[in-house]
Amino acid sequence: MHLVVCIKQILDPEIPPSDFRLDSAGRGPAEGIAPQVISIFDENALEVALQVREAAGEGRITAISIGAESAVDALRKALSMRVDDAYLIRQADFPALDTFGTARILAAALGKLPPADLLLCGRESGDWYGGQVPAFLAAQLDWPYTALVAAIRKTGSEWNLRRQSDDGWETIACSAPAVVSVTNDAQNLPRIPKVRDNMLAFRKTITVWTAADLGLTSESGCGPNTRLKTERFYIPTVSRQCQMISGDSVVQRAEELVEKLAGLRVI
Amino acid sequence: MRNVLAVLIANGAEFGRAEIEVLSAGSRLAADLGGTSVAAVVGGSDQSWAREAFSYGAVRVYVAGSPALTHYEPRLFADALEQIARSADADVLLFSSTISGLEVAPLVGYKLGASVIMDVTGIDGKVEGGGVRIQKPVFGGKAQSELVAQKAPVVLSLRMRSVDPLQPQEGASGEVIEIPVNVRPSTGTWRLIERNLEKSGGPRLEDARIIVSGGRGMGGKENFSCLAELGDVLGAALGASRAAVDLGWVPSTWQIGQTGKKVAPELYVAVGISGASQHMVGIAAAKHIVAINKDEKAPIFQMAELGVAEDYKVFIPKLIEALKKHKTSATT
Ligand SMILES: Cc1cc2nc3c(=O)[nH]c(=O)nc-3n(C[C@H](O)[C@H](O)[C@H](O)COP(=O)(O)OP(=O)(O)OC[C@H]3O[C@@H](n4cnc5c(N)ncnc54)[C@H](O)[C@@H]3O)c2cc1C
Ligand SMILES: Nc1ncnc2c1ncn2[C@@H]1O[C@H](COP(=O)(O)O)[C@@H](O)[C@H]1O
Repeated sequence: MHLVVCIKQILDPEIPPSDFRLDSAGRGPAEGIAPQVISIFDENALEVALQVREAAGEGRITAISIGAESAVDALRKALSMRVDDAYLIRQADFPALDTFGTARILAAALGKLPPADLLLCGRESGDWYGGQVPAFLAAQLDWPYTALVAAIRKTGSEWNLRRQSDDGWETIACSAPAVVSVTNDAQNLPRIPKVRDNMLAFRKTITVWTAADLGLTSESGCGPNTRLKTERFYIPTVSRQCQMISGDSVVQRAEELVEKLAGLRVI
Repeated sequence: MRNVLAVLIANGAEFGRAEIEVLSAGSRLAADLGGTSVAAVVGGSDQSWAREAFSYGAVRVYVAGSPALTHYEPRLFADALEQIARSADADVLLFSSTISGLEVAPLVGYKLGASVIMDVTGIDGKVEGGGVRIQKPVFGGKAQSELVAQKAPVVLSLRMRSVDPLQPQEGASGEVIEIPVNVRPSTGTWRLIERNLEKSGGPRLEDARIIVSGGRGMGGKENFSCLAELGDVLGAALGASRAAVDLGWVPSTWQIGQTGKKVAPELYVAVGISGASQHMVGIAAAKHIVAINKDEKAPIFQMAELGVAEDYKVFIPKLIEALKKHKTSATT
C-alpha cells in the first residue's frame, strides 16, 4: 500500500492581525512577518495517512511539496511524524505557478513514484484558501474524488471514507486509486513527533526534483493565470466598538448584560 | 459575459437556503452584466426545483437527462455539468460552498479550463470595461482580495450566508430544457454507503436565532454542560471553535467558522473564544455578538458588541441566574 500526501508550506496562519503586513508590491504578505509552517489541513492529511498505515499494519507514505528551499522544514516535520520518503519540487523552476500548474506538477511527480493507492491533500491551503488542487489532480488523473474527508479505512479493495455532511456524518466507499481532501476532526489531530523521531528525521534525505527531473518546463501549462486580474489587495479595517460590561460585582455585571440584551430585544 | 448559470445540486436534500443564495446571486450578477440568469439542476429532484429557480429570476432551467444521475457522484455530476455549461454557453457558473459544491465546482472548472475561485464572499458585474468582480478574504481575513475576471468561463463557489436572498416571484415561469448528457462509465467506483444524522437536541445551528459557542478557553469537555445550561435558558443552539472540536470536546458538526458552519443568529455568545479571524468569518452575518473572555486584550473584544472580561466559570452561573430572574419578571 502506497499513500502519497501533498503538503504545502505556508505563512503561519495564527499570527495576530496586528503583525500582518503587505509586501512592497502589495500583492501578498510581506516576507518574514511570521514563521513558515505546514498548512494546517495538510497536517491532518498526514495524520490520516499515518492512521491508515497503522490500521493496515503495512504500507509506505510519501510526502511531496512544491516549494521554496525553506519547504524542507515542512518535509522534515513530515518525516519526524514518520512518513517514509520526502520529495521537494523546486518552485523556483515555475515562476508563475497557478493551481492548474500545481496539479500538473504534482501529477508528474506522482508518475515518477511507485504507483499510489491513495493521494491525500488538505481541503484548502491555509493561506490563500484555493480549495482546488486536489480536485484538479483527481480530474487530471481520472481518479475518484472525495472532499472534506475526516477518517479513512481500507476495506478489501476499497477505501472507506468518513466525512461530515451538512447535518451529520456520511460514509463513502470508493475504489483505489483515489484522491481525497482532508478536513480537521478530533480523530485526526496531528500527532506531536517524538524527540527521537525528530532526530532520525534529520538523518533522512529529502530528494529535490527540478522541472527537468519531472520532464516539465516552466511553460508546460503551469501558469500564470492570465484570465484573472487582482484589482485590489488590502488589509481590511474593523471598526466595531465593543461596550465592556463594567458593574462592580459579578451579579451586577450579569444583570447589566441581561438588561442590555433585553434592550436589544434579543431575549 | 452574458450567461450566468446557477448550479443546483440535489443531493438528497431539500431546496433551501444554499440554492436560494446561489440563484439570487446569479440573477443579480446577470442584471449587472446585462445578461441572462439561467440555472442547472442535477441529481434526483422533482419539478419544484425548476419552479423555485424561476421564482428567483432564472429564465431557463437546464436539467440533465440521464438515468445515471439519480444518485450523487462527484465525477458523474461534474461530467454532466460540463456538458450543460457548454450547451448553455455559460460564461459564469455559480455554485454554493456546500460539501457537494466544494467537491464538484473545481472538477467542472478543471474540465472547462475555467478560472476557478472557491468560497468567495462577494461578486458584482459593475466593472468598467465588463467582467465580474470577485471578493475573497484570504490569510484568515487579515487581507482582502478583489479580482476581476474578464474572460469566460469563470467558475465560482459562494460562501454560505454571503448573499442576501431575493424576494421570490410567485408564479414566475420559464423554459425547462433537458440536455441529453452522456456520462461516461467511470474507471473507478464511488458510492454513498451510509448517512447518519447527528441530533443536537436544540435548533439547527444554521437556523438558530441564538447561538452559544465555546472555545479552547472552556478548558474541558465536561465544562460544556455549563454552556448547555446557558443555551437552555436562552433557547439557543450550541456551537464551538475549531480548537474545541480538535480537542474532541464537541462533535465537528458544531464547528463555526471559515471551514465550519456559517451562521446568522440574532445573538451570538462566544465563551472562551479568542476571536481568530477564521472563526469570526463564520459569524459575519450575526446581528449582535457578546464575548465572554477572561483576557481583556483578546481580539474578540475588537469585534464584539458587548464584552465581559471575566472567567466564564464565575460569570456564567450568575448570568444564568440573572436570565432566569429576567424571564420570571417578564412573564409576571
Ligand atoms: C485555514 C484555516 C481554517 C480555520 N477554520 C476555522 C474555523 O472554521 N473555525 C474556527 O473556530 N477556527 C478555525 N481556524 C482556527 C483559528 O485560526 C483558531 O486557531 C481557533 O479559532 C482558535 O480557537 P479558540 O478561540 O477556541 O482558542 P484560543 O485562540 O486558544 O482562545 C481561547 C480563549 O479562551 C480564553 N479563556 C481561557 N480560559 C478562559 C476562562 N476560564 N474564561 C473565559 N475565557 C477564557 C483565552 O483568553 C483565549 O482568548 C482555522 C484556521 C485556519 C488556518
Ligand atoms: N505547493 C504545493 N505543494 C504540495 N501540495 C500542495 C501545494 N499547493 C497545494 N497543495 C495541496 O493541495 C491542497 C489544497 O491546496 P489549494 O487548492 O491551493 O487550496 C493543499 O492542502 C495541499 O495538500
